[in-house]
Amino acid sequence: MSIKKFRRWMDEPGNSVIFTGSTMFILIVLAGIFIPFFYRFGPYDFVGDPLQSPSLEFLFGTDQLGRDVFSRTFHAVYLDLGVAFLGVAIPFAIGTVIGIILGISKNKRLVALISSIIDGINAFPLLILAAALIAFLGPGLGSVIIILSLTNWARYARIARTRAVVVSQQNYIEAAYTLGYPKRRIIRKHIAPNVSSETIAYALSDFILVILLVAGLSFLGLAATPPTAEWGAMISEGRAYIQGSPWVTLFPGAALCWAAISLAFIVEGLNRREGKI
Amino acid sequence: MTNELLVDIDSVQVSVKLSRTRRLQIVDYASMQIRRGEMMGLIGESGSGKTMLCRGFIGTLERRDAYISGGKILFDGIDLAKAKSETWRAIRGKRIGYVPQSALAGPNPVLTIEAQLLETLKNDPKLDRQAARKRAMELLDIVQIRRPDIVMKQYPNQLSGGMKQRVMIACAIALQPELIVADEPTTGLDVTVQAEIMKLLKDIRSEFNTSIVLVSHDLPLINDVCDRITVMHAGATIETLPSSEIENSKHPYTIALYKSRIDLAPPRGELITIKGQPPAVGGWQEGCRFNQRCDFVTDACLVGPHPKYIQLSQDHQTACINHASISDKVGSR
Amino acid sequence: MTQSTGKQDKTEQTAVDNRKVFAYKVGIRFIRSIAVAFWVTVIAFTLIRLVPGDPASNRLGVDADPAALEAMRKQLGLDVPPIQQFINFFQGLIQGDLGTSLQFDREVSDIVFSALPVTLWLIALSVLISLIIAIPLALFVATSKSVLVAYIFRSSTAVAIALPNFFIALILILIFSIRFQWAPLLGYTPEFPGNLEYLWLPAVVNATTLVSILSRVLYSSIGDTLREEFVETGIIRGIGRFRFLWYYILKPSLAPTVVLLSYIMGVMLGTTVIMEAVFSLPGIGTELISAVFNRDYPTVQAIVFIFGVIVVFFSFFGDLMAYWLDRRVKF
Repeated sequence: MSIKKFRRWMDEPGNSVIFTGSTMFILIVLAGIFIPFFYRFGPYDFVGDPLQSPSLEFLFGTDQLGRDVFSRTFHAVYLDLGVAFLGVAIPFAIGTVIGIILGISKNKRLVALISSIIDGINAFPLLILAAALIAFLGPGLGSVIIILSLTNWARYARIARTRAVVVSQQNYIEAAYTLGYPKRRIIRKHIAPNVSSETIAYALSDFILVILLVAGLSFLGLAATPPTAEWGAMISEGRAYIQGSPWVTLFPGAALCWAAISLAFIVEGLNRREGKI
Repeated sequence: MTNELLVDIDSVQVSVKLSRTRRLQIVDYASMQIRRGEMMGLIGESGSGKTMLCRGFIGTLERRDAYISGGKILFDGIDLAKAKSETWRAIRGKRIGYVPQSALAGPNPVLTIEAQLLETLKNDPKLDRQAARKRAMELLDIVQIRRPDIVMKQYPNQLSGGMKQRVMIACAIALQPELIVADEPTTGLDVTVQAEIMKLLKDIRSEFNTSIVLVSHDLPLINDVCDRITVMHAGATIETLPSSEIENSKHPYTIALYKSRIDLAPPRGELITIKGQPPAVGGWQEGCRFNQRCDFVTDACLVGPHPKYIQLSQDHQTACINHASISDKVGSR
Repeated sequence: MTQSTGKQDKTEQTAVDNRKVFAYKVGIRFIRSIAVAFWVTVIAFTLIRLVPGDPASNRLGVDADPAALEAMRKQLGLDVPPIQQFINFFQGLIQGDLGTSLQFDREVSDIVFSALPVTLWLIALSVLISLIIAIPLALFVATSKSVLVAYIFRSSTAVAIALPNFFIALILILIFSIRFQWAPLLGYTPEFPGNLEYLWLPAVVNATTLVSILSRVLYSSIGDTLREEFVETGIIRGIGRFRFLWYYILKPSLAPTVVLLSYIMGVMLGTTVIMEAVFSLPGIGTELISAVFNRDYPTVQAIVFIFGVIVVFFSFFGDLMAYWLDRRVKF
């Protein structure tokens, strides 16, 4: 793409913000991939004296056990972002499918029943449900993924169902039907993409929420636990030393903010493109 | 209707501030005179500038970054073009009333009808709360709303379009203004309701001797109801004439409008339309702006500024330099 | 002038008193909320039992004595079929008995009633601070002609929404509790106004997210309202400034914000758990975490249920407020 075309693309509303956000996100993902690969210190290695302030040797300083904060921060990327990704992708898949089925189903009783169950699940704040279910599954990132798969799908299903109902009542669907197109094809080519676009948009915002959720649960000690190198857990561990050695908490926190903000920019940019705000 | 002049608009220009430096002229020549108790119709296509001109009447141009860039709007001797906010506060609502477009507006949806009427009546210092409430009921009665006691307590979303407009009219006449500006008050309403509201306006005019400016794009409607009509095209008034004389019009645009009435078309006959489009705001050509669509165009029409009013008689002005060559009866095809 | 015209409209058929309509609608909605609350109970109950893992062995350890495991199951009420469990649970609910805590040998309802006010105080204070900031902010940005102001507003709120609240909390603690000593690090007193000293900083942290979300929606709403014709009519009528501000600008714009607020308050119930942990507040979130760590199943179940009911209540109340403000809302 030539510079001129790029400039013009950037001038349109929202695109510059999307660009900033995507760049930020790609940067941290790349850092999360390459730094663990090449860096000399590992996340669990004891590399020196504890609580050393950032220096040329230890770029982000060392934590209370003498581990390198820089290495730990970037090792956490695939955990925080990866777990969150699964926690969004799986509910997205389940929820969209169920939502579409509900939206086009003719069985009114079944739809009403499942819909009220969905509304019931959605009534609970995600954090509360997650924390409560951890009581039964035990703490751990795996538990979190399972719990999210069991509960978060309901939010997607609700969106998908509402959208599927609207879409299936559109005139062009009826037209396709009367033209003799097989039902399965109509669903695949017309209804599903239309509904998915909406759930994908939600998935992006949800990604931010789940990243914060996972980090928050780890902070509470319910998901990733020490000594795991995960941002929430690191923030929690470093909390006691925040007065004298703030770097232990600040760097993982900053990384978390970076990830969340970059995604927030992408969401904001997309909203601006569509003129909603 | 007396002969006393209430409103005298002379060569008014309205412009819009597009940015700190760019200006766009919306109206560049508007002249009109309205007598006390006269019902004046203002007609034109979208983009002719009629709505902006009305806003000049009630002083809401500033809100839309518009302003009067030239000319005078004399209301009972006061020049509204130069009026400051104190002047407007004394005039708006009290001496000039406004009825907005039925399709767009209506009463404030979060207030009861009673609350809104009382709001308007609050400006009258002579009325205390009880007297105001009584007056509000009277107003609803005047606009022919049945069971005003019930309607008072309702919210606008519980009323139909016709009733909402009646409420707006009630608010407009509440303080017995000398002039009412009604901007397309019946557009979008049922035809029967339209007729009722028009009759209502006429009755108000006769009973209170209020002057009314009735804006519309519907010529037959205006013609039936108004005493005189002013026609606007592309930012300029091009003719003012008594409605009874519509067939003696001396401007090609008015003639074209009249001829294109859909209700005059014979069954299975041709529908007459005006060829072309009105020039877009900002893209006004030289000379008379109707020259691309005019049947009577001559070379003189293509150059120079847009023609100003030529006085033909006391009640009839036209902006066509070729008015003399327009044949007498328009009714003939 | 008093001749009546042909067909008068809806008024005739619906000659109703507005207050009666209002009361009726509130009643219907309340009943519907109760129905949702019932479902919430069922869901809370079911989800917890759907999760794999045996609570008894979780508590006592996998190689505990089988007899002890049986006794534990009996104590937890798990020895009867699920339907019966639910009936027991429901019966207890109606009587106000939420079960007995396994950690403290107290009634769960006792725990809940002493902890709930703290949480509610925090939420109320957060919402109050947020509204005080968000409404004027949204008004200012919506009525400002400057493109720069709007740009800064939109960008900064977009960022603020994404920030993790516990991290912001820690930073603010660093600044306000440690460096300036304007807020205590620990502790709590339940009496008003003493508790404000302990609640103000967590409320401010909550407010950063809340203000961003609320002011955006309100900003958009006010923008839409300003474009409406009735606002112009209001100017023409010459209404006083404060009345105009409230009845013509704010009241018609607040409905979406109020509905959103009730939804956000539900979400805040969740994040409040984290806030209570960071600030060591003895609220219901702290009780939940403690119960989770200690495998105190009755408490966990009861607290989840309470949360669900509170959210339903918030949502009902939010819709009610929205309808009261603006009749155009569907209630």
